Amino acid sequence: MTFFTDAVQFLPALLGGLRVSLALTGLSLLFGLPLATLLSFGTRSANKPVRWVSIAFVEVGRGAPALVMLQFMYFGLPTAGLTLSALASATLALTWTTAAYCAEYLRGGLSAVPRGEVEGSMALGMTRWDTLRYIVIPQGWRIALPSLMGFAVILFQMTSLAYTVAVPELMSQAYTNATMSFKYMTLFVLAGSIYASISIPATWLSVLVEKRLARHL
Amino acid sequence: MIELPEERFPGRDAKVTVRHLAKSFGDNVVLEDIDMTVLEGTVTAMIGPSGAGKSTVLRCLNLLERPDSGTIDISGHRIDAESRFTNRQLYALRREAGMVFQHFNLFPHMSVMRNVTLPQQRILGRSKAEAEQKSHELLTRMGLGDKGSQYPNRCSGGQQQRIAIARALALEPTVMLFDEPTSSLDPEVGVEVLEVMHELANEGMTMIVVTHEMGFARTVSDDLVVMADGRIIEQGEPKRIMEDPSHPRTQDFLRAVLQR
Repeated sequence: MTFFTDAVQFLPALLGGLRVSLALTGLSLLFGLPLATLLSFGTRSANKPVRWVSIAFVEVGRGAPALVMLQFMYFGLPTAGLTLSALASATLALTWTTAAYCAEYLRGGLSAVPRGEVEGSMALGMTRWDTLRYIVIPQGWRIALPSLMGFAVILFQMTSLAYTVAVPELMSQAYTNATMSFKYMTLFVLAGSIYASISIPATWLSVLVEKRLARHL
Repeated sequence: MIELPEERFPGRDAKVTVRHLAKSFGDNVVLEDIDMTVLEGTVTAMIGPSGAGKSTVLRCLNLLERPDSGTIDISGHRIDAESRFTNRQLYALRREAGMVFQHFNLFPHMSVMRNVTLPQQRILGRSKAEAEQKSHELLTRMGLGDKGSQYPNRCSGGQQQRIAIARALALEPTVMLFDEPTSSLDPEVGVEVLEVMHELANEGMTMIVVTHEMGFARTVSDDLVVMADGRIIEQGEPKRIMEDPSHPRTQDFLRAVLQR
């Protein structure tokens, strides 16, 4: 029964950590998704400087592991004279990763909108912008949404890496309590269960959304 | 033999005038020096073997395809392919011409009503109520008055094509361009669409129809244009050309089509 009494004892600290994990996930999506939207257009822009900067941003974000990005923002930037708090540097790093991956999902979604529908809109006399706004973007988002939701789940798990830069999130709470109590087994089983109890239903939700959105396509 | 419609119907005004239209994709010459006039209130049918450039002519008319050279004039809105033109000029030209495609090209994420309503709101600045009233009127005319709240993929091909026609007509174009409107439909469904087109023609709509429906070309159209290899090889009275084609390529084509 010690597992349960321990669980009751550690749970408040872990749930406090979960709040930080969720906040970090939320902030990275909040800043990352608008940036991804811009990048999804930037990587297809006719303007060369815009295109190259966008592609470089995306390739760095997808090419560098999130752990490297985190360490770079927290330990690397101060040597260049920019010191950020733990949470700010983790948000910055994960925003970059989010923007890079989601830009690619969105780009895929946008280019999957059938050419005929764009022509249908243009032939009616709709402006290029209206065609984007009413035809291409809504459908591109719909096509990309299941992948974006899948990424959000991975991002939530990825926030556990932020324990390496002293963000007091779920993983770091588990680790700190474990080193003090030596109940590693209990704490990591608990932490893993908490991650899973969010991730698994979220994955189900994304499958449900995918099915629902496919109705009219 | 080429008999120009302006000689056959003297006194009618030109609605669409195309001069020296040319278009290549890389080394592939698709259109070569096309001259064409479509008179107000007439139906021009365009036939010819696939790859002849019929659809490309249509797509150049509203600049879905940018010609390499030549001029296009629809109701006085004139665009010269070789000089710069503004977006405003481009949209003005497109407003004159409604286009109907082989694959309908409806917006699948919107209800039928919104498909017909949204362009009116965005392009003509109509209020939602006005636009919906107009849409309802047109859908009813197409025999689809009860389909407004459906999504396009719940409608049959023939219904989808009539929705597409309603969507184009809602913007009150002065010319309708049909790009093989029945080619992706079963014959018995295509008839529904052809009937609607026939009705439109009777009401005096100026129409250009790229088609393989020889019956329609023969009975409904006023002027028949035969294309091959990016050129107009024969033009004139539909019955005359169908019964007594003068160009050998027209003879081959008609023999092949009518034998089916």
